[in-house]
Amino acid sequence: MTVGSHVKGCFSSIKSAEASLEILANKTQSIEAQQAFKQAEQLMTEIKDDLQKQVVFLTQEEPTYK
Amino acid sequence: MPGWVEILIRTISLVVILFLMTKWLGKKQLAQLNIFEFISGIVLGGVVAIHTSNTDTRMIYGILAMAIWFAIPYAVNFISLKSKAFRNFTQGRSTVVIQDGKIMEDNLKKEGYTTDDLLENLRSKNMFKTADVEFAVLEPSGTLNVLPKTENKPLTPKDFGLKPSPKKEPQTVVMDGRMMLEPLANLNLNPNWLETELDKLNVSIENVFLAQADSDGQVTVDLYDDQIAVPDPTEKPLLLATIKKCQADLELFALETENKETEQMYQKNSQKAQQAIDLITPYLK
Repeated sequence: MTVGSHVKGCFSSIKSAEASLEILANKTQSIEAQQAFKQAEQLMTEIKDDLQKQVVFLTQEEPTYK
Repeated sequence: MPGWVEILIRTISLVVILFLMTKWLGKKQLAQLNIFEFISGIVLGGVVAIHTSNTDTRMIYGILAMAIWFAIPYAVNFISLKSKAFRNFTQGRSTVVIQDGKIMEDNLKKEGYTTDDLLENLRSKNMFKTADVEFAVLEPSGTLNVLPKTENKPLTPKDFGLKPSPKKEPQTVVMDGRMMLEPLANLNLNPNWLETELDKLNVSIENVFLAQADSDGQVTVDLYDDQIAVPDPTEKPLLLATIKKCQADLELFALETENKETEQMYQKNSQKAQQAIDLITPYLK
Protein backbone atom coordinates (compact mmCIF):
# COMPACT_ATOMS: atom_id res chain seq x y z
CA MET A 1 0.00 0.00 0.00
CA THR A 2 1.17 3.45 -0.76
CA VAL A 3 1.26 6.42 1.60
CA GLY A 4 -1.71 7.82 -0.28
CA SER A 5 -3.91 4.80 0.36
CA HIS A 6 -2.91 4.73 4.06
CA VAL A 7 -3.93 8.36 4.45
CA LYS A 8 -7.14 7.70 2.53
CA GLY A 9 -8.00 4.82 4.88
CA CYS A 10 -7.44 7.02 7.90
CA PHE A 11 -9.51 9.75 6.25
CA SER A 12 -12.50 7.45 5.80
CA SER A 13 -12.19 6.15 9.37
CA ILE A 14 -12.30 9.72 10.65
CA LYS A 15 -15.35 10.37 8.51
CA SER A 16 -17.11 7.32 9.95
CA ALA A 17 -16.20 8.34 13.52
CA GLU A 18 -17.55 11.82 12.84
CA ALA A 19 -20.86 10.38 11.66
CA SER A 20 -21.13 7.99 14.63
CA LEU A 21 -20.48 10.87 17.01
CA GLU A 22 -23.20 12.89 15.35
CA ILE A 23 -25.68 10.01 15.71
CA LEU A 24 -24.78 9.58 19.38
CA ALA A 25 -25.07 13.32 20.01
CA ASN A 26 -28.57 13.27 18.57
CA LYS A 27 -29.64 10.11 20.36
CA THR A 28 -28.42 10.77 23.88
CA GLN A 29 -30.74 12.23 26.52
CA SER A 30 -28.08 13.75 28.74
CA ILE A 31 -27.04 17.29 27.88
CA GLU A 32 -23.48 16.82 29.14
CA ALA A 33 -22.95 13.76 26.97
CA GLN A 34 -24.42 15.59 24.01
CA GLN A 35 -21.98 18.47 24.46
CA ALA A 36 -19.01 16.11 24.75
CA PHE A 37 -20.05 14.25 21.59
CA LYS A 38 -20.56 17.51 19.72
CA GLN A 39 -17.14 18.81 20.74
CA ALA A 40 -15.51 15.55 19.69
CA GLU A 41 -17.40 15.73 16.40
CA GLN A 42 -16.08 19.26 15.87
CA LEU A 43 -12.52 18.00 16.46
CA MET A 44 -13.09 15.16 13.99
CA THR A 45 -14.34 17.64 11.40
CA GLU A 46 -11.18 19.72 11.79
CA ILE A 47 -8.98 16.65 11.36
CA LYS A 48 -11.05 15.55 8.38
CA ASP A 49 -10.61 18.92 6.63
CA ASP A 50 -6.83 18.80 7.08
CA LEU A 51 -6.63 15.20 5.91
CA GLN A 52 -8.74 15.93 2.86
CA LYS A 53 -6.21 18.51 1.70
CA GLN A 54 -3.47 15.95 2.27
CA VAL A 55 -5.36 13.28 0.34
CA VAL A 56 -5.77 15.65 -2.64
CA PHE A 57 -2.10 16.55 -2.46
CA LEU A 58 -1.00 12.92 -2.28
CA THR A 59 -3.17 11.93 -5.24
CA GLN A 60 -1.36 14.56 -7.26
CA GLU A 61 1.98 13.26 -6.01
CA GLU A 62 1.19 9.62 -6.81
CA PRO A 63 -0.80 9.78 -10.05
CA THR A 64 0.08 6.20 -10.93
CA TYR A 65 -1.65 4.81 -7.86
CA LYS A 66 -4.82 6.83 -8.25
CA MET B 1 -83.70 -12.55 51.92
CA PRO B 2 -81.89 -15.79 52.75
CA GLY B 3 -79.02 -15.43 55.19
CA TRP B 4 -76.29 -16.44 52.81
CA VAL B 5 -77.26 -13.80 50.25
CA GLU B 6 -77.15 -11.14 52.92
CA ILE B 7 -73.73 -12.26 54.07
CA LEU B 8 -72.54 -12.26 50.47
CA ILE B 9 -73.73 -8.71 49.91
CA ARG B 10 -72.35 -7.49 53.25
CA THR B 11 -68.97 -9.08 52.70
CA ILE B 12 -68.50 -7.78 49.18
CA SER B 13 -69.59 -4.25 50.00
CA LEU B 14 -67.46 -4.07 53.16
CA VAL B 15 -64.41 -5.46 51.39
CA VAL B 16 -64.80 -2.80 48.71
CA ILE B 17 -65.13 -0.05 51.32
CA LEU B 18 -62.13 -1.38 53.28
CA PHE B 19 -60.04 -1.58 50.12
CA LEU B 20 -60.85 1.99 49.15
CA MET B 21 -60.07 3.26 52.65
CA THR B 22 -56.72 1.53 52.77
CA LYS B 23 -55.82 2.94 49.36
CA TRP B 24 -56.86 6.40 50.48
CA LEU B 25 -54.60 6.34 53.53
CA GLY B 26 -51.58 6.22 51.27
CA LYS B 27 -48.62 4.04 50.47
CA LYS B 28 -47.12 3.08 53.77
CA GLN B 29 -45.78 -0.31 54.63
CA LEU B 30 -46.98 -2.06 57.73
CA ALA B 31 -43.70 -1.35 59.51
CA GLN B 32 -43.97 2.38 58.84
CA LEU B 33 -47.48 2.76 60.23
CA ASN B 34 -47.76 5.15 63.14
CA ILE B 35 -49.68 4.22 66.25
CA PHE B 36 -53.01 5.61 65.02
CA GLU B 37 -52.86 3.85 61.69
CA PHE B 38 -51.86 0.63 63.36
CA ILE B 39 -54.76 0.68 65.84
CA SER B 40 -57.31 1.74 63.26
CA GLY B 41 -56.13 -1.00 60.94
CA ILE B 42 -56.85 -3.65 63.57
CA VAL B 43 -60.20 -2.10 64.53
CA LEU B 44 -61.34 -1.75 60.92
CA GLY B 45 -60.59 -5.43 60.37
CA GLY B 46 -62.57 -6.32 63.50
CA VAL B 47 -65.55 -4.22 62.49
CA VAL B 48 -65.62 -5.82 59.07
CA ALA B 49 -65.36 -9.30 60.58
CA ILE B 50 -68.30 -8.72 62.94
CA HIS B 51 -70.56 -7.23 60.30
CA THR B 52 -69.89 -9.81 57.65
CA SER B 53 -70.50 -12.88 59.78
CA ASN B 54 -73.35 -11.58 61.95
CA THR B 55 -76.56 -10.73 60.12
CA ASP B 56 -78.25 -9.40 63.29
CA THR B 57 -76.17 -6.24 63.39
CA ARG B 58 -77.21 -3.21 61.43
CA MET B 59 -75.03 -2.67 58.42
CA ILE B 60 -75.27 1.09 58.58
CA TYR B 61 -73.75 1.14 62.08
CA GLY B 62 -70.85 -0.88 60.80
CA ILE B 63 -70.21 1.52 57.96
CA LEU B 64 -70.49 4.47 60.32
CA ALA B 65 -67.98 2.95 62.74
CA MET B 66 -65.59 2.26 59.85
CA ALA B 67 -65.95 5.81 58.60
CA ILE B 68 -65.06 7.20 62.03
CA TRP B 69 -62.10 4.88 62.45
CA PHE B 70 -60.94 5.89 59.01
CA ALA B 71 -61.46 9.61 59.63
CA ILE B 72 -59.30 9.71 62.78
CA PRO B 73 -56.00 8.52 61.24
CA TYR B 74 -56.81 10.54 58.13
CA ALA B 75 -57.18 13.69 60.22
CA VAL B 76 -54.03 12.86 62.18
CA ASN B 77 -52.16 12.42 58.92
CA PHE B 78 -53.51 15.69 57.60
CA ILE B 79 -52.59 17.73 60.69
CA SER B 80 -49.18 16.02 60.82
CA LEU B 81 -48.43 17.29 57.33
CA LYS B 82 -49.08 20.85 58.47
CA SER B 83 -47.54 20.95 61.93
CA LYS B 84 -44.11 19.78 63.05
CA ALA B 85 -45.02 19.92 66.76
CA PHE B 86 -48.04 17.67 66.18
CA ARG B 87 -45.90 15.31 64.13
CA ASN B 88 -43.39 15.02 66.97
CA PHE B 89 -46.23 14.15 69.31
CA THR B 90 -47.93 11.55 67.10
CA GLN B 91 -44.98 9.98 65.32
CA GLY B 92 -42.25 10.47 67.87
CA ARG B 93 -38.80 11.87 67.13
CA SER B 94 -35.55 10.20 66.35
CA THR B 95 -33.09 9.64 69.17
CA VAL B 96 -29.35 9.92 68.80
CA VAL B 97 -27.72 6.84 70.33
CA ILE B 98 -24.12 7.33 69.17
CA GLN B 99 -22.60 10.73 68.63
CA ASP B 100 -18.96 11.50 67.76
CA GLY B 101 -18.25 7.81 68.30
CA LYS B 102 -19.55 7.85 71.88
CA ILE B 103 -22.59 5.87 73.01
CA MET B 104 -25.29 8.01 74.65
CA GLU B 105 -26.27 5.78 77.57
CA ASP B 106 -29.01 8.11 78.81
CA ASN B 107 -30.78 8.11 75.46
CA LEU B 108 -30.55 4.32 75.28
CA LYS B 109 -32.18 4.07 78.70
CA LYS B 110 -34.92 6.53 77.72
CA GLU B 111 -35.85 4.44 74.68
CA GLY B 112 -35.71 1.17 76.60
CA TYR B 113 -32.99 0.00 74.24
CA THR B 114 -30.58 -2.53 75.70
CA THR B 115 -26.92 -2.73 74.80
CA ASP B 116 -27.63 -6.04 73.11
CA ASP B 117 -30.34 -4.42 70.95
CA LEU B 118 -27.89 -1.72 69.95
CA LEU B 119 -25.12 -4.20 69.12
CA GLU B 120 -27.52 -6.40 67.17
CA ASN B 121 -28.79 -3.51 65.08
CA LEU B 122 -25.26 -2.22 64.49
CA ARG B 123 -24.25 -5.68 63.30
CA SER B 124 -27.16 -5.77 60.88
CA LYS B 125 -25.64 -2.59 59.41
CA ASN B 126 -22.31 -4.41 59.11
CA MET B 127 -20.74 -2.48 61.99
CA PHE B 128 -19.23 -5.05 64.31
CA LYS B 129 -17.13 -2.53 66.23
CA THR B 130 -18.82 0.40 67.92
CA ALA B 131 -15.54 2.27 67.58
CA ASP B 132 -16.12 2.37 63.81
CA VAL B 133 -19.37 4.29 64.21
CA GLU B 134 -19.38 8.05 64.02
CA PHE B 135 -23.11 8.62 64.46
CA ALA B 136 -26.15 6.42 64.93
CA VAL B 137 -29.74 7.45 65.26
CA LEU B 138 -32.79 5.48 66.31
CA GLU B 139 -35.70 6.43 64.07
CA PRO B 140 -39.29 6.63 65.29
CA SER B 141 -40.06 3.55 63.19
CA GLY B 142 -37.56 1.57 65.27
CA THR B 143 -34.79 1.19 62.70
CA LEU B 144 -31.26 2.22 63.53
CA ASN B 145 -29.39 4.28 60.96
CA VAL B 146 -25.64 4.41 61.10
CA LEU B 147 -22.99 6.77 59.75
CA PRO B 148 -19.59 5.04 59.78
CA LYS B 149 -16.43 6.98 60.46
CA THR B 150 -14.90 8.41 57.30
CA GLU B 151 -12.15 5.79 57.09
CA ASN B 152 -14.75 3.01 57.27
CA LYS B 153 -16.98 4.34 54.53
CA PRO B 154 -17.01 2.51 51.22
CA LEU B 155 -14.99 4.18 48.47
CA THR B 156 -16.90 6.18 45.90
CA PRO B 157 -15.72 7.66 42.58
CA LYS B 158 -15.65 11.01 44.39
CA ASP B 159 -12.87 9.76 46.69
CA PHE B 160 -10.74 9.03 43.64
CA GLY B 161 -11.50 12.43 42.14
CA LEU B 162 -13.25 10.70 39.25
CA LYS B 163 -16.21 12.20 37.48
CA PRO B 164 -18.29 9.39 36.02
CA SER B 165 -20.66 10.31 33.23
CA PRO B 166 -24.20 10.87 34.39
CA LYS B 167 -26.52 8.00 33.51
CA LYS B 168 -30.24 8.39 33.10
CA GLU B 169 -32.61 5.55 33.91
CA PRO B 170 -33.04 2.95 31.16
CA GLN B 171 -36.47 2.49 29.63
CA THR B 172 -38.11 -0.87 29.04
CA VAL B 173 -39.13 -0.71 25.39
CA VAL B 174 -40.30 -4.30 24.80
CA MET B 175 -42.18 -6.42 27.31
CA ASP B 176 -43.43 -9.96 26.55
CA GLY B 177 -42.87 -9.45 22.84
CA ARG B 178 -44.91 -6.26 22.73
CA MET B 179 -43.61 -2.80 22.03
CA MET B 180 -44.10 -0.24 24.81
CA LEU B 181 -44.90 3.07 23.20
CA GLU B 182 -44.72 5.37 26.21
CA PRO B 183 -41.16 4.48 27.29
CA LEU B 184 -40.08 4.83 23.67
CA ALA B 185 -41.58 8.31 23.56
CA ASN B 186 -39.71 9.17 26.79
CA LEU B 187 -36.47 8.57 24.89
CA ASN B 188 -37.70 10.61 21.90
CA LEU B 189 -37.60 7.47 19.78
CA ASN B 190 -40.21 5.87 17.54
CA PRO B 191 -41.26 2.28 16.73
CA ASN B 192 -39.32 2.40 13.45
CA TRP B 193 -36.14 3.01 15.34
CA LEU B 194 -36.80 0.00 17.56
CA GLU B 195 -37.52 -2.21 14.56
CA THR B 196 -34.23 -1.13 12.98
CA GLU B 197 -32.30 -1.83 16.17
CA LEU B 198 -33.88 -5.29 16.48
CA ASP B 199 -33.10 -5.96 12.83
CA LYS B 200 -29.49 -5.05 13.53
CA LEU B 201 -29.44 -7.67 16.29
CA ASN B 202 -31.12 -10.07 13.88
CA VAL B 203 -34.07 -10.89 16.19
CA SER B 204 -37.81 -10.57 15.62
CA ILE B 205 -39.91 -8.73 18.17
CA GLU B 206 -42.07 -11.81 18.87
CA ASN B 207 -39.01 -13.55 20.26
CA VAL B 208 -38.06 -10.69 22.59
CA PHE B 209 -39.09 -11.21 26.20
CA LEU B 210 -37.62 -7.94 27.43
CA ALA B 211 -35.67 -5.13 25.79
CA GLN B 212 -34.27 -2.06 27.48
CA ALA B 213 -32.80 1.05 25.93
CA ASP B 214 -30.42 3.31 27.85
CA SER B 215 -30.34 7.08 27.54
CA ASP B 216 -27.81 6.82 24.67
CA GLY B 217 -30.21 4.65 22.68
CA GLN B 218 -28.26 1.42 23.21
CA VAL B 219 -30.54 -1.62 23.26
CA THR B 220 -30.06 -4.80 25.29
CA VAL B 221 -32.49 -7.67 24.81
CA ASP B 222 -33.48 -10.90 26.50
CA LEU B 223 -35.01 -13.52 24.23
CA TYR B 224 -37.54 -16.27 24.86
CA ASP B 225 -35.19 -18.61 23.07
CA ASP B 226 -32.11 -18.65 25.28
CA GLN B 227 -30.20 -20.78 22.77
CA ILE B 228 -29.77 -17.79 20.47
CA ALA B 229 -26.74 -15.71 21.30
CA VAL B 230 -27.33 -11.98 21.12
CA PRO B 231 -24.30 -9.83 20.39
CA ASP B 232 -23.39 -7.23 22.99
CA PRO B 233 -23.84 -3.65 21.87
CA THR B 234 -20.69 -2.73 19.95
CA GLU B 235 -21.43 0.74 18.64
CA LYS B 236 -19.68 2.69 21.38
CA PRO B 237 -16.57 0.50 21.89
CA LEU B 238 -16.17 0.40 18.12
CA LEU B 239 -16.32 4.17 17.85
CA LEU B 240 -13.72 4.61 20.58
CA ALA B 241 -11.48 2.02 18.90
CA THR B 242 -11.84 3.78 15.53
CA ILE B 243 -10.81 7.13 16.94
CA LYS B 244 -7.88 5.56 18.81
CA LYS B 245 -6.71 3.85 15.62
CA CYS B 246 -6.91 7.11 13.68
CA GLN B 247 -4.92 8.87 16.37
CA ALA B 248 -2.22 6.20 16.14
CA ASP B 249 -2.25 6.42 12.31
CA LEU B 250 -1.81 10.18 12.41
CA GLU B 251 1.16 9.79 14.74
CA LEU B 252 2.66 7.23 12.38
CA PHE B 253 2.20 9.54 9.37
CA ALA B 254 3.93 12.32 11.32
CA LEU B 255 6.92 10.05 11.84
CA GLU B 256 7.01 8.85 8.23
CA THR B 257 6.78 12.15 6.40
CA GLU B 258 9.88 14.16 5.60
CA ASN B 259 8.03 17.37 4.93
CA LYS B 260 8.26 19.58 8.06
CA GLU B 261 4.95 21.33 7.43
CA THR B 262 3.05 18.11 6.85
CA GLU B 263 4.63 16.61 9.96
CA GLN B 264 3.37 19.52 12.03
CA MET B 265 -0.09 19.16 10.49
CA TYR B 266 -0.20 15.46 11.39
CA GLN B 267 1.03 16.13 14.92
CA LYS B 268 -1.54 18.84 15.48
CA ASN B 269 -4.33 16.55 14.29
CA SER B 270 -3.05 13.64 16.36
CA GLN B 271 -3.28 15.89 19.42
CA LYS B 272 -6.82 16.84 18.44
CA ALA B 273 -7.77 13.18 18.17
CA GLN B 274 -6.27 12.56 21.61
CA GLN B 275 -8.32 15.46 22.94
CA ALA B 276 -11.46 13.91 21.45
CA ILE B 277 -10.62 10.53 23.03
CA ASP B 278 -10.18 12.10 26.47
CA LEU B 279 -13.43 13.98 26.01
CA ILE B 280 -15.68 11.08 25.13
CA THR B 281 -14.09 8.11 26.93
CA PRO B 282 -16.22 8.57 30.09
CA TYR B 283 -19.39 8.55 27.99
CA LEU B 284 -18.45 5.50 25.93
CA LYS B 285 -17.57 3.30 28.89
